[in-house]
Amino acid sequence: MQRNDTMSELLKIEDLTAGAPDKELLHGVTLTIGTGETHVLMGPNGAGKSTLGCTIMGSPEYRITGGKIIFDGEDITDEPADKRARKGIFLSFQNPIEIAGITLSEFLRNALEQITGKRMKLWDFKKKLKAAMELLEMDTAYADRDLNVGFSGGEKKKAEILQLLVLEPKLAILDETDSGLDVDAVKTVSKGIDEYKNRTGGSLLVITHNTKILEALSVDKTHILSAGKIAAEGGAELVDEVISGGFEKYIVGK
Amino acid sequence: MTKLNKLPAPTYGWLGVNYAERELSDNKAELVSVSEGSLVKADITSDARYELSAQENKELTVIMYISDEDKRVDVSAKAESGSKLTVVQVFDKGARTAAQLTADIADSAELRLIQLYIGGADTVSEINPVLSGYSSSFKADIGYLLEGEDKLDINLIADHKGRKSISEINVSGVLADTSDKTFKGTIDFKNGASGAKGAEKEDVLLLSEKVRNKTVPLILCAEEDVEGSHGASIGRINEEHIFYMQSRGIPEDKIYELTARSKTDRIIKLIGDEETVSRINKTLGRSDDDE
Amino acid sequence: MKEKTQVSDIDRSLYDFRYEEDERDYLGSGITPEIIKEISEEKNDPEWMREFRLRSLEIYNKTPMVDWGPSIEELDVDNIVTYIRQKSRMNTDWDDVPDDIKNTFERLGIPQAERESLAGVGAQYDSELVYHNVRKEVAESGVVYTDLESAMHDEKYADIIKEHFMKLVPPTDHKFAALHGAVWSGGSFVYVPAGVHLDIPLQSYFRLNAKGAGQFEHTLIILEENSYLHFIEGCSAPKYYEAGLHAGCVELFVGKGASLRYSTIENWSKNMFNLNTKRAIVSEGGKIEWVSGSFGSHVSYLYPMSILNGKGARAEFTGITFAGEGQNLDTGAKIVHNAPDTSSYMNTKSISKSGGISTFRSSVTVNEKAVGSKSSVSCESLMLDGISRSDTIPAMDIRTDKCDIGHEAKIGRISDEAVFYLMSRGLSEEEAKAMIVRGFADNVSKELPLEYAVEMNNLIGLEMKGSIG
Repeated sequence: MQRNDTMSELLKIEDLTAGAPDKELLHGVTLTIGTGETHVLMGPNGAGKSTLGCTIMGSPEYRITGGKIIFDGEDITDEPADKRARKGIFLSFQNPIEIAGITLSEFLRNALEQITGKRMKLWDFKKKLKAAMELLEMDTAYADRDLNVGFSGGEKKKAEILQLLVLEPKLAILDETDSGLDVDAVKTVSKGIDEYKNRTGGSLLVITHNTKILEALSVDKTHILSAGKIAAEGGAELVDEVISGGFEKYIVGK
Repeated sequence: MTKLNKLPAPTYGWLGVNYAERELSDNKAELVSVSEGSLVKADITSDARYELSAQENKELTVIMYISDEDKRVDVSAKAESGSKLTVVQVFDKGARTAAQLTADIADSAELRLIQLYIGGADTVSEINPVLSGYSSSFKADIGYLLEGEDKLDINLIADHKGRKSISEINVSGVLADTSDKTFKGTIDFKNGASGAKGAEKEDVLLLSEKVRNKTVPLILCAEEDVEGSHGASIGRINEEHIFYMQSRGIPEDKIYELTARSKTDRIIKLIGDEETVSRINKTLGRSDDDE
Repeated sequence: MKEKTQVSDIDRSLYDFRYEEDERDYLGSGITPEIIKEISEEKNDPEWMREFRLRSLEIYNKTPMVDWGPSIEELDVDNIVTYIRQKSRMNTDWDDVPDDIKNTFERLGIPQAERESLAGVGAQYDSELVYHNVRKEVAESGVVYTDLESAMHDEKYADIIKEHFMKLVPPTDHKFAALHGAVWSGGSFVYVPAGVHLDIPLQSYFRLNAKGAGQFEHTLIILEENSYLHFIEGCSAPKYYEAGLHAGCVELFVGKGASLRYSTIENWSKNMFNLNTKRAIVSEGGKIEWVSGSFGSHVSYLYPMSILNGKGARAEFTGITFAGEGQNLDTGAKIVHNAPDTSSYMNTKSISKSGGISTFRSSVTVNEKAVGSKSSVSCESLMLDGISRSDTIPAMDIRTDKCDIGHEAKIGRISDEAVFYLMSRGLSEEEAKAMIVRGFADNVSKELPLEYAVEMNNLIGLEMKGSIG
C-alpha cells in the first residue's frame, strides 16, 4: 500500500491536553491518521482511550486545555459536535444513549439530511436503511422503534454501525464496538465495518481490547495509550504483541 | 368560584396545587348516551354531557374533538366486564374547557384514554377512573403542547379497588412562552387491591425561561401486595442526549425541534384515526404527509 | 437494686415553671400574655426576646391549624399550656418509665446510668462527662457550643443571636412555629468561625439531657465561610415525656463554601406529637446535608427545608421513616432553589408496619433565578403488611427552563423470593425480613457514625420483632 504523506493527513492531533473540569486526563497526545488508513488504539483501562475518542468528537464532558485537532485541513478544536459530524467525523459510542420518542429511522434521516445538506426522498432513504439493516442482520422493525430504547447491548452496537453505514463519514472512531458482543455479533459488526471501508474508503480509529474485530481489517498503525500519553506506536504487529504480552512494559511510570 | 381538580391528599397550601379555582356555570347540555357501534366521533363546540358504555366483551372507541371557548364537557364512562373502551379527547387551541371524565372499569375490562391538549387556553381537566373489577386496566397516554399564555390543570386519580388491577399513565408535553401547567397524577391503591400495579410517568420539556410547571405525582397505598411507581423528568434535554445527537450532525435547535415534536407525535400516532389526525396536523400547521 | 440508688430528682428549679396542680384553674385554656410574661421573666429574657414571645403569641392565636397532613385532633390545642408547663416533667421515678421504653434501653445496650439520664430520671453521669470533654476540644478550635439562653446573655453573642433568631423560621410560618416563638426554651447555639473544620461531630443529646430540656428547644447554628461541622441531634433511645408535644425549631445558617451535616435519629416516645420545624439557608458554594431517621412519636410533621440562596449551593437529604402501630409519620423535605447552578439530591425510604402510616411529602421549588439547577429525588416505600398505609406526596414547582429535574418513587413489599433465598441459607423468616429491611434502610445507616448506625440497626431489629411500639 503506497501513500503520499502530504495528501493523506485526514486527522492531525497535536499535543492535545484535555480532561474533565477538575482533572486532566490526556497529557499531550499527538497522533495523525491518514486518509483511508486504519489505526488501532489500545491501552489499559483508564488510560484515556474513550476520553480521546470523545474529545475528537467534541464531547462537552471534556475540556480541551491545550493543543489542536486538525481535521481535513481545518482546525476544529473549538467546533461543536454537530459541525464535526458534518465535516465527516463519526463516533460509535461505547454506551449509546436511548432517545425516547424519536424513531431510529426518523433520527437517522434527520442526521443524514443535516450532514449532506440535502433533503432526501423518503423512499430512497428507506431503501438505503433497509439495505444496511439487512447487511447487519437487523430486524427491519427496529427502524420504527425509538432510538436504542429497549435495545439489547448487541442491538445498540449494531445500530451504531448502521448509522455509520448510512452516514458514510470520512473518519469513524469505534469505541469498543466489539465489547460485550458474542462471537456471531462481532462477525456481523465486522462485516458492517468492512462494508463501510470498502464502499467509502474512509479512515478508522478502532479502540479495542481484542483482535477479533481487526481480523478482516488491514491495520496501518497501532498506538498504545497509557496514563493519558502515547506510550508506544508501531504497525499491525504491535497488536499481537500487546495481546500476548500485555501492557506492562508500556505503562508509564512502571 | 368553584374548587375543581382537588388533590386527593392535600399538601402544603403555598404550593397552590390542592385545587384549581374557576368560574363555572351549570352544564346544561342534554345527556348523550353511547353504547352501540364500534367507533363514534363527536365534534364538541359547546357544553356536552356523555354517558359512554362499552358492553360486555365488546369494543367501543369514542373520539371527541373539543374546540371553541368556555364549555363544560362531562363524560361518565363504563367499561363492562371483558370490554375495551377507548376514549380519545383532543382539546383544540383556545378550547377553554372544564372537562371531567369518570369511569368505572369492570372485571377484565380496559379503559384506554388518549388525550392531546393543543394549547387549551385555560383548561381544567379531571380524570377519575375507578378500577373496580378483577384484572381491570386503565392505560392513559396524555400529551400537551402549551404556548403563549396557555394554562392547563390536569388532575388524574386512578382508584385501584380490584385485585390485579393495572394502571399505566404516560404523560409527556412541551411548555413554551409563558405557559403554565399543573399535572397531578394519583395512583390510589385501596385496601383489598392485592396484586395491583400502577405506574405513572411524566416527561416535560421546557422551552422558555418564563414557563411554569408543576408536577405532583402521588401514590397512596393501603395494600401490601402492590407495586407502584412514578417518575418525572422536567427541564431541558440533557447534555449527553444533545451530544449524541450532535455527533450525528444534528444542530441543537433542530434537536429541540425534533424532541418537542416527538412528544405530540407519540399521541398522534396512538390516535390513528385519519380524519382526526389530519385535523390535528392542520391545527399544528403541519402537512399530513410530512413524515 | 443498685441502679435504684442512682435515681435522683431532676433539678426542677431550672425549667419547672412552678405551676403546681392547684394553679391549673388559673391557667385556664389557651395561653395568655401573662403566662408568656411569666416564662420570660423566669428565663430572665432580654427585652427584645420578651416582645418577640408576646408577638409570637399574637400570631399563634391568629394562625389557623394546618389543613393537610395527619390528624392532630387528639392534641388538645385549646389547652396547649398543659403541654408547656409539663415540659420539664420528664419522669421523676425510674419505676414510672413505661416498660416498653425500659426494654428498648435494655435491648439497645445502653448503660443503666445513661438510660435513666435519657429518660430524664437520673442525674447526669457519663454523658455529662463526655459533654465536658467535647466542650474542651471544641473550645480549642474556636467553636462556640453552648446553650442558647446563656449565649443570649453573653455580650459576645447577644447581637448575633438577635440577628438570626427565628429569621429563617419566622413565627408566621405556621401555627406551631408561632407557638415555639412564644414558649421556646433550651437548645443549642453553635458558632463555627471562618475556615474552621471541626472533625468531631457535636452531639446535642448531651446538651439536651444535661438540662432536661427538649420539648420546645431551639437550635441555632451559624457556619462562617469555608467551615465544616457535623451536628448530631438526638439519639436512638426513646425520649419519654408525659405530655406529648414537641415543637422545636432548628435554624441553620451555612456560609459561603461552608458545609454542614445535620444528623438526627429521632425516637420520641410513642405518645408524642412531633411538630418540629427545621430549616437551613445555604450561601454560595455551601452545602447542607441532612441525615434523618424518624422512628418515634405518635404523629410527626417533619420536613427539613433547604434554601439554596447562593450560586452553586447544594443540599442533600437522606432519610428513613419507620411507622409502626399507632404511628402516623408524615416526613420528607423541602428544597428551594433560589440561585444559579444549585443542586439538590433527596433519597428517602419509608417503612410501614402493624397499622402504622408513613407519608413521604416533599416539595422542590426552582425559581426563575435558579438557572442551571439540578434536582434529583428518589423515594421508596415498603409495606410490611396489609393493615398499614404508605403515601407518597411529592410536588415540583419549576419556573425556569434551564434546569434538570428528576423524580422517581417506588412502593412495594418484601419480595417472597428474597425471603425464601435467605431462609434457604438458614435464617428464620423474621431474621430474613429484618435483614432485608436493614438493607432497605442502608441509605441512612451508611451516612451515620458507626455507633449510631449500629443503634439504628438494633432499633430496626426491635421494630421488626414488634416488641416495642
